[in-house]
Amino acid sequence: MIELFKNRRARHLREMAKYLRLVFNDFFVFALLFFLGGLGLGYSNVLKSLTAGLWWAPFVALVVLTITAQIGRFATLIEDADRVFLLPKERAMHAYLVAARRYSQWLAQATQLIVLFILTPFLRVTLTWSLAMVAGLVVAQVVLKDTLLRLDLASAYQVTGQRRMNHWPVKWGLSLVILAVGLWGTPIAAVVLALIADGAVAVWLQRHWAHQQIRWRQQIASEDNRMLGIYRFFNLFTDVPMVTGTIHRRKALDGLLRRIPVRHDQAYLYLYARGMLRGTEFSGLVVRLTVIGMLLLAFIQGTWLPVILTALFIYLIGFQLLPFFQQYDDIVFTHVYPLTWEQRLHSFVTLVTVILTTTAVLLWVVVVLANRQLMPAAVTLVVAVLEVWYLARIYTPQRLKRAAQNKG
Amino acid sequence: MALTVSHVVGGYSQIPVLKDISFDVRDGELVGLIGLNGAGKSTTINHIIGLLTPHKGTITINGITITQDSQAYKQQIAYIPETPVLYQELTLREHLEMAMMAYDLDQKQAWQTAHALLKTFRLDNKLDWFPANFSKGMKQKVMIVCAFLTQAKLFIIDEPFLGLDPLAVNDLLQLIEDRKKQGASILMSTHVLDTAQRYCDRFVLLHAGQVKTEGTLSELQAALPEAGESLNDIYLSMTKVDRA
Repeated sequence: MIELFKNRRARHLREMAKYLRLVFNDFFVFALLFFLGGLGLGYSNVLKSLTAGLWWAPFVALVVLTITAQIGRFATLIEDADRVFLLPKERAMHAYLVAARRYSQWLAQATQLIVLFILTPFLRVTLTWSLAMVAGLVVAQVVLKDTLLRLDLASAYQVTGQRRMNHWPVKWGLSLVILAVGLWGTPIAAVVLALIADGAVAVWLQRHWAHQQIRWRQQIASEDNRMLGIYRFFNLFTDVPMVTGTIHRRKALDGLLRRIPVRHDQAYLYLYARGMLRGTEFSGLVVRLTVIGMLLLAFIQGTWLPVILTALFIYLIGFQLLPFFQQYDDIVFTHVYPLTWEQRLHSFVTLVTVILTTTAVLLWVVVVLANRQLMPAAVTLVVAVLEVWYLARIYTPQRLKRAAQNKG
Repeated sequence: MALTVSHVVGGYSQIPVLKDISFDVRDGELVGLIGLNGAGKSTTINHIIGLLTPHKGTITINGITITQDSQAYKQQIAYIPETPVLYQELTLREHLEMAMMAYDLDQKQAWQTAHALLKTFRLDNKLDWFPANFSKGMKQKVMIVCAFLTQAKLFIIDEPFLGLDPLAVNDLLQLIEDRKKQGASILMSTHVLDTAQRYCDRFVLLHAGQVKTEGTLSELQAALPEAGESLNDIYLSMTKVDRA
């Protein structure tokens, strides 16, 4: 069973490494460094202005530490099929779950240490704490996190219908009490309290695990939920197959959609427009790139840089829209309905034109507001108009025609 | 002659699945396409609806082949697939409108037909639903409504009875009957043999990519006298010949 967990852990880490490489690309690392540098500078400035004995300082520390204690979830790596295939091995699963908890500690405790490290100067300045007292609080925090993870493990075994031990009020309440004792009383007392709690959960678990069933459904659901959160995060940077686009009704946009006439030659525009606005896959891409472009342009001044950036963003969006043409190729009616390929291409070109024009107008408005000069505004406008025209009317049909010919 | 399939050799790759197939469907006729799994029923249908191009042979609908005029060819067909396929981003109402646009139908008239069909299949209160909220049977009914909305001359129906409730099966058979009277032709593939026996005018028995026999039930009985009375018996005897 421990072997099973090790295998899964290795596979999981490989997968995470693959995505992390994509997330931390050069561009993002660069942006992140700037962001962290800025935050660090701000924090050090704030520290300088603080004095000892501020009444709100322990409250801030309490809130920060309580929230931190909840970070780092119990990663079981349990899969849906386990409740069928591992059911006969239920007792042996205990070793697996213990191994999983040990693995979960790494990331969770590292987070606790980093946050406390950052918080140390704040505690020293505002509470005039000695390093020994800070160290005491660090121990209390680590033991507290250990307790919370043990609660997660214990509740894998609880009888159905019982209020789970790791229900959120329990976790938050326990954290608040222990940390409050540490901040207002003495860190040593907090350490003792945390040890007592940890011990109590350990004793409960030791007495009960062998006699109770694993709550497979809850464990699977919470693991799926955890993974979905991770994939969602990765999906902001790259395509993750596990996160498929979802569909929203977006009734507010019906007025816009109804402007497309219900006519034979507009059938594909009718379909494409609805697919674009209601799906999240491509519309999300367009919105994301447009917003990033607008934010970037808002801080940039000059004659040529705004023009180049505007052109770049329009190109990026136009280029990434191309695969949407094939969005409905899997649906048999795309081939069976008496509609021609040319009608479809024409509709697609119209759609791309509308999207790129909207984006171009938004970017242009930002350029105008950020620069307030005639030259950049005029040049950007001319370049954007030419680019949208070329991308939508010339480049897109050419590319799609060639792709269709290659397919035979 | 609504549909003529003559000497078609074809398949998904260079290796032919269909080996020289010929049959036809006449005006106002319901023809059952019968065969085992893998006999080539779906491949035949895919060739007729134009998803696959035959290696050899021709398929004509009322004298037009798909290479002559693909739009005029497709205009005559309405297709109901075995597994329902729907556009995830379109509501039921929009699916119907899409079909009306595609076949260039008169909106007002088509909606009249549509409302009657929706009522029959108890979908009339679900016009604003997305496919994700439909059960499998409901999706299949949407396919039926979309197809029978058109004034197609040839209906191609792939295994329609699985997943439909008995009431819907009855309604579908009634619809087919009505369209036959109006002169439309229907080609239907199915495994539900006792229903096929009762409703089909003729049968094409497909086996291992070849047309084993074709004709009315009495013609089949005459051709295979020792097989038995029902279509089921004839079908089973056909499979036994192969096993022996």
